[in-house]
Amino acid sequence: MSTDKRRWKWLSAAFLAILIGVVAAACGGSDSETTTAAEDTAAADTAAADTAAAEDTAAAAGGETKIVMGFLSNCEGPFGPFWDATLAGYYTALVQYAGATPVDPADPKAGVTGAMVPGTDVPIELNTNYGCSDDKADKALAEAKRLVEQEGVNVLIGPLSGDEGIAVANYALTQPDVTFLNGISGAQDTTLKVQAPNFYRFFSDGAQWTAGLGAYAYNVLGWRTAVTIGDDYSFPYTQTAGFVSEFCSLGGTIEERIWPALGETDYSSYIAKLPKDVDGFFLDVGGTGTVQFVNQYTEVNGEDSLQGKVMGGAFISNPQIIAELGNKVKGVVAGSALPSDATTPEWEAYVAAIEAAFPDQTANAANIFLAGYYNNTVAAIKGLEAVAGNIDDAAAYHAALNGTEIETGVGPVTIDGNRNAVMDNFVVEVTDTGTKTLFVVPAVDQSFGGAFSTETPNPDRENPECVAGNPPPWAASITG
Amino acid sequence: MSANEGLKAKHVATAGPRVSWSKGTIFLLAVLAVAVLGIGIQAASDATLFAQITLNGLTLAGLYFIVASGFTLIFGLMRVVNMAHGSFYMLGGIIAFLVQERMLKPDPTSFDLPTATFGSFVLPLVIATFSVALLGLIIQQVFLRWNQGQELRQALITIAISIIVADQAVARFGGIAKEISVPIERSIELPIVGNYGTMRLVMLLVAVVVGLLLLGLITRTRFGMIVRAGVDDRQMVTALGIDIQKVFAVAFLLGAFLAGLAGVLGGSVNSVNKADDGKFLLISLVIVIVGGMGSLTGAAIGALLLGLIDSYSDVYLPDAITNYGVLLTFFLLVFVLAVRPYGLFGRPG
Amino acid sequence: MIPARLQWPVGIAVVAVACVLPFVVSGFTTSQILTRAMILGIAAASLIFLASLGGWVSLGQTGLYGVAGFAVGNFVEADGGSKTFGMNIWLATILALLVTVAVGLLIGAIASRSEGIYFLMITLAFGVIIKLLFEKATDLSGFGGINQIVQPEIFGSAQLQPERIYFVCLVVSIAVYLGVRYFARTPFGLAFQGIRDNATRMKALGYNVTLIRTIAFGIGALIAGLAGVLNVWWNTQISPGTIDIGPLIFLLMIAIIGGLYRIEGAWIGALIYVILDNRLRSVELVGERVATALGIIFLLIVLLSPGGVMGIYESISRRVRRPPSGDDAPAGGEGAAAPGVAGD
Repeated sequence: MSTDKRRWKWLSAAFLAILIGVVAAACGGSDSETTTAAEDTAAADTAAADTAAAEDTAAAAGGETKIVMGFLSNCEGPFGPFWDATLAGYYTALVQYAGATPVDPADPKAGVTGAMVPGTDVPIELNTNYGCSDDKADKALAEAKRLVEQEGVNVLIGPLSGDEGIAVANYALTQPDVTFLNGISGAQDTTLKVQAPNFYRFFSDGAQWTAGLGAYAYNVLGWRTAVTIGDDYSFPYTQTAGFVSEFCSLGGTIEERIWPALGETDYSSYIAKLPKDVDGFFLDVGGTGTVQFVNQYTEVNGEDSLQGKVMGGAFISNPQIIAELGNKVKGVVAGSALPSDATTPEWEAYVAAIEAAFPDQTANAANIFLAGYYNNTVAAIKGLEAVAGNIDDAAAYHAALNGTEIETGVGPVTIDGNRNAVMDNFVVEVTDTGTKTLFVVPAVDQSFGGAFSTETPNPDRENPECVAGNPPPWAASITG
Repeated sequence: MSANEGLKAKHVATAGPRVSWSKGTIFLLAVLAVAVLGIGIQAASDATLFAQITLNGLTLAGLYFIVASGFTLIFGLMRVVNMAHGSFYMLGGIIAFLVQERMLKPDPTSFDLPTATFGSFVLPLVIATFSVALLGLIIQQVFLRWNQGQELRQALITIAISIIVADQAVARFGGIAKEISVPIERSIELPIVGNYGTMRLVMLLVAVVVGLLLLGLITRTRFGMIVRAGVDDRQMVTALGIDIQKVFAVAFLLGAFLAGLAGVLGGSVNSVNKADDGKFLLISLVIVIVGGMGSLTGAAIGALLLGLIDSYSDVYLPDAITNYGVLLTFFLLVFVLAVRPYGLFGRPG
Repeated sequence: MIPARLQWPVGIAVVAVACVLPFVVSGFTTSQILTRAMILGIAAASLIFLASLGGWVSLGQTGLYGVAGFAVGNFVEADGGSKTFGMNIWLATILALLVTVAVGLLIGAIASRSEGIYFLMITLAFGVIIKLLFEKATDLSGFGGINQIVQPEIFGSAQLQPERIYFVCLVVSIAVYLGVRYFARTPFGLAFQGIRDNATRMKALGYNVTLIRTIAFGIGALIAGLAGVLNVWWNTQISPGTIDIGPLIFLLMIAIIGGLYRIEGAWIGALIYVILDNRLRSVELVGERVATALGIIFLLIVLLSPGGVMGIYESISRRVRRPPSGDDAPAGGEGAAAPGVAGD
């Protein structure tokens, strides 16, 4: 027993030494950086990267030599596995427009080198700092603060998920000199309600992704009554809002809105109570829930496929989900921000850009996680180009961003007064080669032709109300 | 000195406040009666729905029981609160899925998902459950064995392991829920209920078999005798010269095995999901607290209660309060602990 | 242990350093390192309070912390949650603390009848259930958490004057620390500790054991609630993720790092945790796998020094002052790390 205790003491002492070492090292690191961060962002840049080469020229020119970009995505939590895809989108933009070179084309995590603001007299480097969240608003907020206040980030790209986006947009209100561009978070409120003048989203929101579906259900499938099923949180509310608003505006009615609690994995009881006498269902249960829901639905109803009976939001047309469900979702019609089967020059240019940077990632071209980060990073670079890399004048940079039009895989994208993208959306059908585009819904804006505004209630369990009249402009063009 | 404290704690436990069983029973029965009445009225209005929901609850309870029986076995005998139990469950599903994926080699360009044969279902199942069991044994031998009796430290060790496993699962296993393919028709036609998932019924059957085997093991074998004696008084068992360490090792192996098995079944019925570890740890905790720690019967009753509450509350609660369904679990805990501080079938100490 | 005559000077020195720090370091460090550590420290203090005086390890403290935070968010004007009250922030804070204590008393009344590891399991179950409730009941937690929670006006801008909220947290920390020290010497506190050591005897002496424990748990809930309120004042935002099983475990980790049986360990543990959390990502080997690294550190601490940093400190200072002498080491290290739960 006593030898045991002695051993413990030694181990404890050794451990304490290690711990003190780690903490001391950590403190040392944080000291050097925090002092610089306190002075000003330009000085923080020098601390952020030791490899800086152009310091002297910069001082001489009296301008910035480096701009610090922040990349905020999820490397933990439910969306952790999409870290690579989001990184690939971010870096592809840097490679394509900022002259960067991938360190390892097979692995986006290895990063890029040599990113510069395009078209400036004095070379201005684009350095990147990384933030990792876990789908929790808290964590995203803490990471955003760390990037902005500790690492001195000038332009932040991110975050990834809906609740995170709302939290970061709220934070943007308190940091008017820093510019925020959304990653791929899709909550409508982020731009429509929070209205931070320095928060931009060059990609559509969750409601826009379902544009055209309501009209397809009403005009093509002939549905008059429908039931919606979605996980009980902000993102499905937003997506369902798009469907409900459009379907009802044409005269359809929503019999019931079912919201299984978030985190549910056993949907069998909800499926058992689905009304039997409606024309169809709009399904929007989350990333993992879709697989479970579809499997259980086919079991309970003894059907092999959901075709004609179910329409879906962004989840069901996700390539990874289709790969899991195969024939069960064949023929299902869904909304999508990206057309995986497109053969347009824009799409091919976009895929070629990914291939040039990260050949393995072309499979993710139709993955919104990659595309969202790509679009927003492209916009950030275009804006920097327009102001010749002068980030000190935030107002000028923001004015440049407001007027920026970017080339993307789905054609040119601009932003509206809420700094939210106006872009095409796609009604797609799941086929055995992926998805087939049925309709292109042109220039979908966040307001859905006026159905959503700063005054309308946030999408939630009961909202928007089902009201006939004032269909969005594209509804008439979607007919069988 | 730690032994002293433990003894003191034991005294307290026996001397703690105890409401008599009959009073508690009456109270619980009253609550139960109200619930049954409410559900009965609903049931009368739609018999098919009621039958479906009830079967859902029963099959879910089967899964819960398999997980929780392993948890209660480990706890009852060794007083180890295995916080990594949910991780074992999750690992079972992940390993089985990965092995099956290797065996079936799905063609990424083809749309038709490969279906498992008997062999390509059973082999992943066996490999997964045995590797999880082995992992459990290793954890017990490396980390827990020499901390015997230090309950808190053992719990903390397993918590640390669960953090590491969860983070590694995120890093190595994709984000989308995966399904383990099964070699049978997915659904069959039942009287009254209509179509029903075959694997759910299989899962219920497995749970019953597991329950009976465990019961046999506990009541009919020497191992079971030692376990029962150990649950009641470990010091006495050790004093009798029985090598309790060997029994502990087997119990931990078995507990991890059951969690792994449940993980594979859950992954076939539903899906393999890397958020399952926390969920099934909570389920095990609630079942075992309600049923009484170390009691197999208690685990079965607890699993039934939780499974049925889950199913009924999804459907029969009014829409406005569906989302407060989790409060039913809360009140179940409060009620049971208020009348039986050590669970329905638990004994102090 | 610090000799009694040095306790006040050392305490004053620590407070003095804490007062000077925000003027030395950057606003970010003040807000994201120091203030965050203070808040987590108070939350961990609620855990250590119960562990050191009551011999209970409660995993329900994050749940109570969340109850307080969500209550404030619901009572005041904010984006998300119930919008019906729109109260003054101070009134909302007082009500939130009352609600938290009420919930704490309910859970305490149930949990206080159990011991050691049972108590840990029961409080864990309650902690997770509270999180699930807020996750599912979006009426209470908003559709993307509760955002833009108003702060008391005296705090000014969190960006421009981060030191203001820091000093509030510092004052609350000191109050909690002194309060717990004082409580331990009151007759009630002594009775509570007596129950930890021998409940049967206390019962025989005529003490109402269950009542005393329930009230003590309520006091723990009050401390956790204070931390929860400060958290929403500081962060102006709360979501169910704030009290998920991860934060729950990391709060326990803070308490373990600090040592479960010394109240000052709460803040030391919190500071170490916050710094690790902030800096680990920059370590090449760790990269994105911060949780794995924290898990391994946690495992090492539990394996090597259950007394945490305070335990290591004490065992070293004992060695310095006295030649090592086998088994007669006083309480500390392994045994005392888990009073009452050491088992048999």
